[in-house]
Amino acid sequence: MNIIETENLSKTYSGFTAVSNINLHIPKGTVYGFLGPNGAGKSTTMKMFLGLTKPTSGNFHINGKKYPENRVSILKETGSFIEAPAFYGNLTGKENLEIIQKILGLPKSAVSEALELVGLTEFKNRLAKKYSLGMKQRLGLAGALIGRPPILILDEPTNGLDPVGIHEIRTLIRSLPEQYDCTVLVSSHLLSEVELMADNIGILNHGHLLFEGSLAELKENAAFQGYPTDNLEDTFLAMINEDNQQRSCVK
Amino acid sequence: MSILLECKKMKKTGFYPAFIVGGILASCLPVINMAVRSEIFTGLQQPPLQILLNENWAMMAMLNILLILSGACIMYHTENAERALQKMQTLPIRESSMFFAKFILMIGMSIVVLATEAISFLFCSLHWFHTYDGLYTDLLKNFAYFFILLLPAILLSLAISSACSNMWISLGIGVVCFFAATMITSTSHFILQIFPFCLPLRILTESTEQTVIHFLVASVLELLAVGIAELSFLRIRKALV
Repeated sequence: MNIIETENLSKTYSGFTAVSNINLHIPKGTVYGFLGPNGAGKSTTMKMFLGLTKPTSGNFHINGKKYPENRVSILKETGSFIEAPAFYGNLTGKENLEIIQKILGLPKSAVSEALELVGLTEFKNRLAKKYSLGMKQRLGLAGALIGRPPILILDEPTNGLDPVGIHEIRTLIRSLPEQYDCTVLVSSHLLSEVELMADNIGILNHGHLLFEGSLAELKENAAFQGYPTDNLEDTFLAMINEDNQQRSCVK
Repeated sequence: MSILLECKKMKKTGFYPAFIVGGILASCLPVINMAVRSEIFTGLQQPPLQILLNENWAMMAMLNILLILSGACIMYHTENAERALQKMQTLPIRESSMFFAKFILMIGMSIVVLATEAISFLFCSLHWFHTYDGLYTDLLKNFAYFFILLLPAILLSLAISSACSNMWISLGIGVVCFFAATMITSTSHFILQIFPFCLPLRILTESTEQTVIHFLVASVLELLAVGIAELSFLRIRKALV
């Protein structure tokens, strides 16, 4: 069963098409890696799921709920982290999470649980503006994970983290479906990273969905189309390069 | 719940100290004025409260407007500085309910400021003048009037701040509106007199009953107009992104 599905979802900004007729199918209880170079349309798609950007055409439903009719209901079930951490700098990490906890109507214990999950318990009483970049990133993640939402939308969640932090967050994301019966949509521009986390992947370039399926299917597909298959990074780059070339030929 | 959240968000922003210190500063004005040149005022024939208001209110109202402008800027700067507003937009809370919760918080802080100023007038009346029947009623009437006329300025300041992600732009617009108000306050045109930043400068005792009613009605209509405009603005902005 797909928890997120889109139908010809598109977004155009005054002549520039950021997302073009994409049809995503994200199965429940999996980690779905959303892959693509910078500017491919990953963040725009995620923003549309959260109602931060209005689709130009097409539609989507999340957990059986249709946008925009059930927007509030969708947001109640979705934890998100978009582009960069967003928080109140004048409040402590704990106070920031308390605001989210109250809006979502969660028990008070959800705050300490989220802090524990991202390893911020020790720094919970420090002002968020005084956090390091990695700590801000963790606070953003805690804000997404609080209350164990059934759907998580994470836009490049490991940006700014050190290798240890990247490993921790990656392990955490990987464990979420099993631990909390959660579905994760995680974006990245690094296949090597997505490879370690995702069950399924979607590759986006210039707003077009080039591939959707499991990693095994990607290898199979790449071999069939004559792309290198020894290293998935090379496969990804070859796919993107060919798509870029085709686009420049069309132009 | 939204109001409590807004109260929490304002912690360590300087919002509360600004209103408290601003209120005390404005309240000092009539006291200093009386302490320095009481002989000029005690010889006048008008009721003490009217003398005090005529001599001090214009300056105090200007300070109140500046406080409101700064308060509104602080509120939305806190939302925009670290993109907290974007996080709020991904949560099941309406931006309009956040806006009106901020409005209620600003009303609360304005009441604190006005109450401090009322105490200052009461002190001056009792200390330098004699008490008279109806002093407390007059004081209450005047400050209730000031409060109602202050509401459109509060709502408009917040609407300006909510529209600008850069605090300096909203502060700049607010300051321009404030100076425009000080320039047009003495005009005889009613339409200009009801400019939201002009209304708080009005004094109850200097107007006829009919004018007072006109100002009160204008204040309520402006509240409705700015409120509806803000709701429409939030809806349009959402549709355009």
